[in-house]
Amino acid sequence: MTLALLALQESHDAGESFGTPFTVNFGLFFWTWVVFIALFFVLKKFAWPAIVQATEEREHRIKRQLEDAEKMNTEAKDALEEHKKLLAGAKAEARALVTEAKTIAQKEREQLLAKAREEQQQVLERAKREIHAERDAAVADLRREAVDLSLAAASKLVEENLDDKANRKLVTEYLSSLERNG
Amino acid sequence: MIQERVDVGQVVLHHTADAYALDFEPLFTISWHRWPDIHFGTLTLNLTPTKHVVFMVLAATLVFFTMWLTGKQLERQRASENAPKGFANAMEAFVLFVRDDIAIANIGHEEGEKYAPFVMALFFFILYSNVLGLLPWGSAATGNLAVTGALAILSFVAIEVGGLMKLGVGGYMRTIFPKIPGISGAGAVAMSLAMAPIEVLGKLVKPFALAVRLFGNMTAGHFVILSLFGIIFLFGHLQVWNWAIGIVTAGLVVGIMLLELFVALLQAYVFALLTATFIGMMQHEH
Repeated sequence: MTLALLALQESHDAGESFGTPFTVNFGLFFWTWVVFIALFFVLKKFAWPAIVQATEEREHRIKRQLEDAEKMNTEAKDALEEHKKLLAGAKAEARALVTEAKTIAQKEREQLLAKAREEQQQVLERAKREIHAERDAAVADLRREAVDLSLAAASKLVEENLDDKANRKLVTEYLSSLERNG
Repeated sequence: MIQERVDVGQVVLHHTADAYALDFEPLFTISWHRWPDIHFGTLTLNLTPTKHVVFMVLAATLVFFTMWLTGKQLERQRASENAPKGFANAMEAFVLFVRDDIAIANIGHEEGEKYAPFVMALFFFILYSNVLGLLPWGSAATGNLAVTGALAILSFVAIEVGGLMKLGVGGYMRTIFPKIPGISGAGAVAMSLAMAPIEVLGKLVKPFALAVRLFGNMTAGHFVILSLFGIIFLFGHLQVWNWAIGIVTAGLVVGIMLLELFVALLQAYVFALLTATFIGMMQHEH
């Protein structure tokens, strides 16, 4: 060790030296740049790609997959939105159809009802008319019968020429005979 | 006693300083002579490769071969569809940590991938340089202010030029003349102009701090270790206690060495992390 230090001291005197580490040798800037920049390019060309490539590829693949997933997600969302819109459209359409059908049915029913009422009215009126006619005919018949009977009774009265008491008895008998005959 | 002639301070400074020589004492020393200076106007440059240049080249070569071999092994493993294992897998995890958790986590996903190679190269180059300084006969190029300064300038360029390209000239000028919320009209212009020197200073301080932090940490560690060794020489003449002093000092140095190993990793991490953070801040400046 002692020898080493002695040798050091001697070489210090013999070789040209800087003396202290605080002297700045501007020539070294040049060398540092040459060495470092050469190292930078050589590493960039021959060393880093082989080491980093696999990782970079993996990173890019993952990035691409993420982007794909994102795109698919957006597409799925769009499709869902469209489906919802279609479904809503279909529902509205169905509702419109039902409403329309209901309106038509209602109208039809009212028409049918009106027709039925009209027919009923007609039937009723015809019946009334027929009843009136029948009654009129019956009344006419009755009248004619009454006239005939009165005429018959009157003729009987005239024929018999009876007194007041006898006339009365005669009419009563006649009437009761009518009743009996029916 | 020859020990008394040893000037510990001198040894410490000499050993941490750059040199035009490689020390393999006590075996041998390789030394060479300076090239003549080059003058650019008032600037004097000397491009002679130094000890730290040699160690930078060594560090860069080692980084390259580690990563290259790792890549080759990983490709072979993937081709045969074997489960990843061994050294290559450990290095892959390490590289991916730097890429994902230092670069991309702090810069952002899109720009992060663009700047990751720079941050990764910075991290591993600094780490290897730091660790080389802990080896016997080794020297940490990152314990040289010129080296850390040059690296910090590269970071500065990446931060500012990257910001200029991302934000455009108008957006970039906003980082120097900031828009102050709540003020409008002449007041806003005055405040903007007043803030400009502070903003510019802020831009310059970042790389300066990066350079000085790395240099300081690496140099200080070596100072501590060498100073502790110095204790042996200062007190080695105590005939009874010299063994005890030697053992205690060696124990302390082992402890500091372990700490230095951690610091070597930590400082590479800090340099890369701060560079990534500053790039990220600049990229997302609005």
